[in-house]
Amino acid sequence: MNKKDGILGLCVTGAALLMFFLMGMNKAEDADQVRITVDGETYGIYSLEEDQEIEIQHEGNHNKIRIESGKAYMEEADCPDEYCIDQGEIHTRTQTIVCLPHKLVVEVINENDKKEEAIDAIAK
Amino acid sequence: MKFKSIWIPICLSCSILLAGCTKEAKSDVGLPEDTQVNIRSDMEEVPKDNEDTVIKEAQKELFAMDTYMTLSAYGDSAQAAVDDAAAEIERLDQLLSTGDAASEIAKLNESGSAVLSEDGGYLVERALELYEDTAGAFDIAVYPIMEEWGFTTQEYQVPSDERIEELLKLTQADEIKYDEKSREISFGIDGMKIDLGGIAKGYTSARIMDIYKQHGIESGLVNLGGNVQTMGHKTDGSSWRVAVQSPDESEEYLGILDVNDKAVITSGGYERYFEENGVSYHHIIDPSDGHPADSGLISVTIVSADGTLADGLSTSLFIMGKEKAAAYWADHSEEFDAILEAEDGTLYITEGIEEEFVSEHPMEILRKDAR
Repeated sequence: MNKKDGILGLCVTGAALLMFFLMGMNKAEDADQVRITVDGETYGIYSLEEDQEIEIQHEGNHNKIRIESGKAYMEEADCPDEYCIDQGEIHTRTQTIVCLPHKLVVEVINENDKKEEAIDAIAK
Repeated sequence: MKFKSIWIPICLSCSILLAGCTKEAKSDVGLPEDTQVNIRSDMEEVPKDNEDTVIKEAQKELFAMDTYMTLSAYGDSAQAAVDDAAAEIERLDQLLSTGDAASEIAKLNESGSAVLSEDGGYLVERALELYEDTAGAFDIAVYPIMEEWGFTTQEYQVPSDERIEELLKLTQADEIKYDEKSREISFGIDGMKIDLGGIAKGYTSARIMDIYKQHGIESGLVNLGGNVQTMGHKTDGSSWRVAVQSPDESEEYLGILDVNDKAVITSGGYERYFEENGVSYHHIIDPSDGHPADSGLISVTIVSADGTLADGLSTSLFIMGKEKAAAYWADHSEEFDAILEAEDGTLYITEGIEEEFVSEHPMEILRKDAR
């Protein structure tokens, strides 16, 4: 009887651990992305896993966003203040780079984040 | 014998705990990517765990008050609530913006006197109270000096000492004459100008909370360019998690704060600054000397149910420095809590949020009794 209890216990634990690892694998597949919006319209969504440069020409405005080693930053912008370039690199969920004069927003997204760990907003 | 039979409950609870995670992880995939359209105003139905009821969610994103804003609300009237909130933001922006020549504040600055709207009047009243209360650290009359440094136009320059001395004569909020009944305002010195930007966003987020309440919303969050205000709890019953930006770019956050029904507003020199001859000049001007505040604090966060107060105090305490800020808090600990970061990275946390704030920085708790 006690032996059976032990086996049952091990089975349940084993199943639980298996599920836990499967979840972990799922999570690894859901990499962070950045969503770029210009004047309210989604321009595109890009993986942070992949090094790339994104050139945006919109109504005579120019911005160049670079993704490198899992981080995104504004490399070039012809806005008057270049404040978007000063905002540096972003890589965690809800972080944003905002180019106000061009109404351009780069936001890190990951819809598969576990809610209890995620940040709802950044005070700055 | 006993040892072995203990295994069943342990294993079962393990499996329940772990399986619980899976369930939550699945329900999080509920928001389809293609509905996330920006300046969006889409309704999403979020299934609530263990219940058949569906909580309606609405989001809106917009550019106003020289910043990027996001609004979210949860409840039956969520969509109407965020729509009304956006309209209120536009209204207040037009009313209060110093940059918009048609605003009542711009007209007041031009002519030196005016009769203010209810909102404008309320903000001037609060601003003058704060000026008294903070011994001049919060001063809406500092605007001419902000202009001289170029922080209003982004045509930055370091003004000469003579020029600053000259302008300091204008930056005295006690020369503002304001009648609460008639809402008539006038300046005691020619050339004075005011800017309500130091409390306008905090007031706006507080107004949005009022609008949410009128719509019966019990859960929501607004982020007005980093000025955050929360209503109630998240729909799963947990607290809102608000990270505090670090002035140090190489670090993710200063820490994370769990809040409900409070505004969280941070001020730091990193927000807006320029460099000249290798020296960095930030936008938080100390009204006592007309130069960027150099108080030893590099970031100040205020946590308060009163958004207007939180906004005004974040710059005030930044200007005061650690000792004065701690003393000010001790006298007003019922009204707010604070997170102060000193130049050496040490954080000073007031005791009211001791349990709610998590950080990897060295922390010191400010206690009222210890003083």
